[in-house]
Amino acid sequence: MSLGRSGELFPLAVALRGLQQRFADAVIDADRGSLREHLVVVPAARLREVANALQNEWGGTLVTAFALDEREPHGRFRMHLLFSMAPEDAVLTLIAAVPGDDPRYPAITPAVPAAHWLEREMRDLMGVIPDGHPDPRPLVAHDGWPRGAHPLRKDFVPPAEWSWAPRFGFTPVEGDGVFEIPVGPIHAGVIEPGHFRFSTVGEAILKLDVKLGWKYRGLETLAQGQPIQRGLELAERTCGLCAFSHALAFSQAVEESGGVLAPQRARAIRSLAAELERLYNHAGDIAGILTDVAYTVGASEGLRIKEVLQQVNDALFGHRFLRGVCVPGGVARDLDDGQQHWLRLVLHEVRADLEALVRTASANAAVMDRLNGTGTLSAAIARDLGVVGPAARAAGIARDARRDHPCAFYRDLDFRVVTRTAGDVFARFEVKAEEIHESLNIIDQMLLHLPGGPLAAPLGAIPAGAAGLSMVESPRGLLTHWLRAGERGTIDAWRVRSASHANWPAVALAVLDNIVPDFPLINKSFNLCYACVDR
Amino acid sequence: MWRIIGDALKQGVVTGKAGASLPPELAPAQREPEAAHEALGQALRAEIQRVFRRSFKLRHVDCGSCNGCESELQALLNPFYDLQRFGIDFVASPRHADALIVTGPPTRHLVEALRLTDEATPRPRMIVAIGDCACHGGFCAGSFATLEGVHEVVPVDLRIPGCPPRPAAIIRGLLSALGRSAPGAMVSGSARV
Repeated sequence: MSLGRSGELFPLAVALRGLQQRFADAVIDADRGSLREHLVVVPAARLREVANALQNEWGGTLVTAFALDEREPHGRFRMHLLFSMAPEDAVLTLIAAVPGDDPRYPAITPAVPAAHWLEREMRDLMGVIPDGHPDPRPLVAHDGWPRGAHPLRKDFVPPAEWSWAPRFGFTPVEGDGVFEIPVGPIHAGVIEPGHFRFSTVGEAILKLDVKLGWKYRGLETLAQGQPIQRGLELAERTCGLCAFSHALAFSQAVEESGGVLAPQRARAIRSLAAELERLYNHAGDIAGILTDVAYTVGASEGLRIKEVLQQVNDALFGHRFLRGVCVPGGVARDLDDGQQHWLRLVLHEVRADLEALVRTASANAAVMDRLNGTGTLSAAIARDLGVVGPAARAAGIARDARRDHPCAFYRDLDFRVVTRTAGDVFARFEVKAEEIHESLNIIDQMLLHLPGGPLAAPLGAIPAGAAGLSMVESPRGLLTHWLRAGERGTIDAWRVRSASHANWPAVALAVLDNIVPDFPLINKSFNLCYACVDR
Repeated sequence: MWRIIGDALKQGVVTGKAGASLPPELAPAQREPEAAHEALGQALRAEIQRVFRRSFKLRHVDCGSCNGCESELQALLNPFYDLQRFGIDFVASPRHADALIVTGPPTRHLVEALRLTDEATPRPRMIVAIGDCACHGGFCAGSFATLEGVHEVVPVDLRIPGCPPRPAAIIRGLLSALGRSAPGAMVSGSARV
């Protein structure tokens, strides 16, 4: 195990000791929540201070934050701030109570910028107000939402009359020759809706305002009080392209809340399917980057490989997006010896084809001219914003949930966390290309000795109030699902944070000083989803 | 450049070639049943041929799908399906479009955008709902933040259900609507142009 930023072998112990000493007057309670998660209760008024120390002195990284409505019967909102203590497989969760009748607390964003969108979202969906947050605008809510409509509150009743018309406040940029370009929500290509407001001088981008929330379907509200099975359906459809990762994260959260461990063979097939998902996503991303630099030959080849990989998913698991493979307790699909053999043959070809594609593209001066030095994201900004996945690794931050918080079979697998330091489009291109190799290697390892045994463990009754946290490295980065069970096998509360949610604020910074025509390319190199951000 | 041309010659034509079908001795995974296509498509065939004179340009409008339907629509343009060879293509503006391809339940946030896009499309135009969400709200049905089908906002001419519909199913739906091909002609890769 490598050393943490604080130079200690066990960052969690250091942080806990530090918290107890420095904030002896603030720590109300500290206890182990699960094998991985430690819970520390602090007053909401001290949250910012504690979070600041946890991040800047003891090496914690904010991975998600959410609020729960506990006004009935406790008269409070409960906030959870989850900090990853990587490289140790541990999570330190700060918990604070916010009074139900006056839900305000000092915002932590000024100290922990990674909380920026999370706090805005809490304000919209739960009505918990972060005082002193630098951005007072709504995030998910569009401005037509009536005052007091907070869909995640337990007593939320959708008003009959609801104006959803968008009227946004954008930050104006003024000066000689400043020009504003509004784009979206309906874009020119076959892509998801978002609104982008560029302020430019000539071709250079001075500022980019991103307005998402268009695809808000209210999934977390929809899940409340529903059976687990319905939750799985919602989870798999939160995001089309990370469907398996979402199903895996949801299933593991359910398993943790019920104290169940999926059997070995199930965990192995889960790792294998997760890598198949990463493969077709990364192949698609490489094709997308090449499309946006008008390198049509390479783009077509990349799209062909992606199609082959999706047909592999279809032939083996019955779904091009790997839905219906992962279920709480285990997996619903098996691979027999013949299928395993065939998969190895197909992937052998895929590896050679992808290698040739990346080699040809990287040798093309016109391609390299567009990729090199475009859309640079610095390590400092990436760290501050809590960027995850290939985008973080391309900026030199070796974060990978498969290694830091291993689930499924990853603890027993041998793979490299690919990093680059440049942080530009080419770095993200290279990271994805090399991760394809790592994924193929992982699948090879799994196919060498797929463990035997049952496909699923019986789930049993989940005690009401039991909670589960699950962290999965989706193709786009860290994905967290948190779930609390309700009465009789229902979902009391379910919270999702996808990798795209963490990375969108970074896109707005990576494009600065680039030219407008490079925006699609930069955007594609991050390739973020909209659906799982808006939910 | 010569290397690229050489590679392309070596690669050959991939269009419609099943890239990843299991060998016959292996049982394929049980697939989810492909939902039956709307008989409406057949009825529209003659009408569209008359109105659009066989040129068929699509404008995609995402109204809150999970991105699965978008991915399958994009797949239509990959070398395997290569939709453009049928004279069908996606265009960048509704003003150039004969048909709107709508995905998503739609979400309330996008209702106005859908309405405006529809207004910007010259008449006559066709509206195709793709995916279960667009057809009837799909898995989102019951949410306060979504409607239950695109038809609640704009009149729908053709529905192609599925979650998401496979690219072949989308092509079958579109082609049967256009009268280019009988349903079922594409899937095996034996499509005639």
